[in-house]
Amino acid sequence: MKKFITVFQFELMSYIKNKSYMVTTILMAVLLAAVMFVPRVVDISDMLGIEQSTEEETEEETEDSEEEKAKLGIVDASGYLSSAKLLEQAFPSAEFTYMDSEKELKKAVTSEKVEAGFYVVDDQNYRYYVVNREMTDENQIIFDELLTSIHKQVYCQQNGLDYEKLATEYESGVNCEEEVLGKDAADNFWYCYALVIIIFMVIIIYGVMIATAVTTEKSNRSIEVLVTSIDSRYLLFGKVLAGTVAVVVQLTLIIAAALVGYACNHDAWGDKLDMLLEIPTNVLVAFAVFGIGGFLFYAFLYGALGALVSKTEDINKSVGSLQMIIMIVYFAVLFQLQNPDGMIMKICSYLPFSSYSAMFVRIGMGKVELWEVIVSAVILLVSILFVGWLGAKIYRMGTLRYGNPVKLSNALKSLKHEE
Amino acid sequence: MKLEVQNITKTFGEKEVLKGISFSVEGGKALGLLGRNGAGKTTTIRILMDVFHANSGTILLDGEKFNPHKVQIGYLPEERGLYPKRIILEQMVYLARLRGVDKKKAVDNSRKWLKRLSVEQYEKSLLETLSKGNQQKVQLAATLVCDPDIVILDEPFSGLDPVNSQILKDVIRELIAEGKIVIFSSHQMSYVEEFCEDIVIINGGEVVLDGNLIEIQKEYGKNQLVVSDEVHSREEFRDILSKELPDCAKVTGETKEDLIVKLQEGISKKQFFQRLAELDSVEIEHFETYKPSLNDIFVEKVGE
Repeated sequence: MKKFITVFQFELMSYIKNKSYMVTTILMAVLLAAVMFVPRVVDISDMLGIEQSTEEETEEETEDSEEEKAKLGIVDASGYLSSAKLLEQAFPSAEFTYMDSEKELKKAVTSEKVEAGFYVVDDQNYRYYVVNREMTDENQIIFDELLTSIHKQVYCQQNGLDYEKLATEYESGVNCEEEVLGKDAADNFWYCYALVIIIFMVIIIYGVMIATAVTTEKSNRSIEVLVTSIDSRYLLFGKVLAGTVAVVVQLTLIIAAALVGYACNHDAWGDKLDMLLEIPTNVLVAFAVFGIGGFLFYAFLYGALGALVSKTEDINKSVGSLQMIIMIVYFAVLFQLQNPDGMIMKICSYLPFSSYSAMFVRIGMGKVELWEVIVSAVILLVSILFVGWLGAKIYRMGTLRYGNPVKLSNALKSLKHEE
Repeated sequence: MKLEVQNITKTFGEKEVLKGISFSVEGGKALGLLGRNGAGKTTTIRILMDVFHANSGTILLDGEKFNPHKVQIGYLPEERGLYPKRIILEQMVYLARLRGVDKKKAVDNSRKWLKRLSVEQYEKSLLETLSKGNQQKVQLAATLVCDPDIVILDEPFSGLDPVNSQILKDVIRELIAEGKIVIFSSHQMSYVEEFCEDIVIINGGEVVLDGNLIEIQKEYGKNQLVVSDEVHSREEFRDILSKELPDCAKVTGETKEDLIVKLQEGISKKQFFQRLAELDSVEIEHFETYKPSLNDIFVEKVGE
C-alpha cells in the first residue's frame, strides 16, 4: 500500500507539474467565472433577447420601411387581387407591378426587371416564378396565407356566412397553463447534452494521456528498473488513479467556476442560461459517480493498451478500437437524447461501456427507478474491478515486450497460456 | 551471504529460453555472468528479480528460499532508463521509496551516491540536460540508492570515459569489500577479469562453463605453451615445428608475435624444450606457459 501511494504521488505530481494541465485548469475556471459576471458590467440584453422598451422597436420598424423595396410582378387572371391594398398589407416591403400575361411575367423575371412573380389562376391555385431561389425566400409562404384567406372569404360569400365572425372564432386560439410535475425533458436537454460531450472529451483526452504515460516508461526504458522494484499492478493502478484524480480536480474546478459564477449572476443573465447551468443535484451526483466510474473503466483499458506498444507513436494503433467504442457510445447516446426512455438508452444505461453517459441522461431526462441506478452502478463497479485486474495482467505481460506492437488478441491468448 | 540458483528453466510460449541454469555467488565476491546476445542472461536476472516466474528450479539465499522483495537489490539494466523530463533528485528518491526506503533516508542516500559519483551538482536538473556519461552515472547512483545487498550490473562501463570508469571501478571494489553480492554482466572481458573471481558462461540457455576464473584459465592453458624463434618469422617457425617436431607439439593458435602450441600426449614441457633446443636453425626467444585470456575462453566456448 505504501508503495502504491508512492507511485500515486509521483504520477499525480507529474500532472500537477505539467504546465499545460495547470494553465488549462486555472485559465478555464477563471475565464468561465469571468464570463458569468459579464452581464453585470456590460449590457448584453440584445444578445440574450431580453425584451426592451417599445420605443426602440418602433424606431427599428421605421428604419425597415426606408429600405429599398423589393420589386415583384403579378398576373391576376382571377381578379381576386384587384385591390392593391391586400397585397400591400401582405408584402409591406415590396412594390408590385401588374402584368397582363404569364409570358410577360416570365420575361420580366428572367430579365430581372422584377425579382419574382406570381401568376394567380384562381383562389386556390397560383404559380410562382423566380430565377434563383434564396434560402430565406418567404414570398411563397406569405402568398399562400394571402390566397388562403381570400379563398375563405370567397367561400363565405358564396355560402352566405359571416366571414368576420368566423375568422374571429377560428383564430381565437386556446389558452394553456402548463405545470410540469415530473421532469421537463426540454429543460434538462441542454445540460445533459453538454455533460455527455464533456465526459466523452475527458475520456478520450485523458485516456490517451494515461496510455502515453505507460508507453513513455517503456520507450525510455525506466520500466526495467520499475518492474524490478515494485509489483507492476501498483504501477498501473497508481497511474490510472492519479490520472482520475487529476481529471476530477480539473473538471470540478471548471464546472464549479461556471455553476457558482452563474448562480451569483443569474438575475443579470435573465435566467437565460438555466437550461445549461442550473443542473439539479441528483444529475450532478449521477454525473460524478457514473462519470468517474466510466473514466476508471476506460482508463484501465487505456493503460493496458499503452503497455502493448513500445513507442509513443504506436499508441494510436493500439487504442484505435477502444476509441471507436467510445465514439459509438457517444453518438448512440447523443442521437437517443430525445428518447431517454427508449430501449437503446435502457440497454446503454446498464452496459459498463456506456452507462457513464446513458445513466445520468436517463436520470436527468427520463424515468428511472432507484434500483435501476443501483444495479447499473454495481455492474459498473464490478466491471471496473475486472478491467483493473485484466489491465494489470496485460500491463505486466506487455511491459517487458519490446518491438512490434502486440495485438490485444495475442496478448489475451498469451495470458491464457500463462495460466 | 550466499545466493544459489538451482536448475532454473523458463519457456516463453514454445521457446525454451533457459534449460536448467545453476550457479552460486557469495558475498564479498563478484560473479561474471557471461554469454552472447540472447543467451539468456537478462531472463535469468529477471527471474532472480521476480519479474518472470521460472517454470522450475529454485533460488536460495543462505539456504532459504529467496524472496527478492525482502532483500535490497540494486539493478542496473543494460537498457538504461530513467525519466528524462523529471528532476534527478526527485526520481532517485522515488526509486528508493519504491524499494521501501523511508523518505529521509531516500533523500540522504540519493545525495550520498550522487556525490560519490561526482554528479551532485546536477541534483536539481532534468535528466535529459546531462551528457550521456553523466546520465549513466546518475543511473548507477539510482541503482545503489537503496543500499543494496545484492548488486546486479549489466554493462556498467558502457559510455564512461576512462576517468569515470576509474570512479566506477573504485565503487565496485568498495561494494565487494563491504561483502555485497555483485553479479556483473559484460561483454568487455577485461573488466570481468579485473573484478570477478568466478564466472558463469551461458550459451543457448545452458551453463557451458562455470567456476573460479583463475582455475579455469589454468585448466585451459594446461599443456599449452607460447613459443617464438629469434631467427625466423612466425610463419617460418610454424613450418619448422610442423615439419621437425610433429610428434611433440601441434600449433593451435598464435598471438601477435608468437605461436601457441599444444603438447602431444606423453610429452612434457622439458622434453619439448630439449627437442626444440636441439634444432640447429632455431634460436629460442620465448618459451612460457600459455595463459588464455577470458576472451579466448569465451570465444572457444560459445563461438560458432
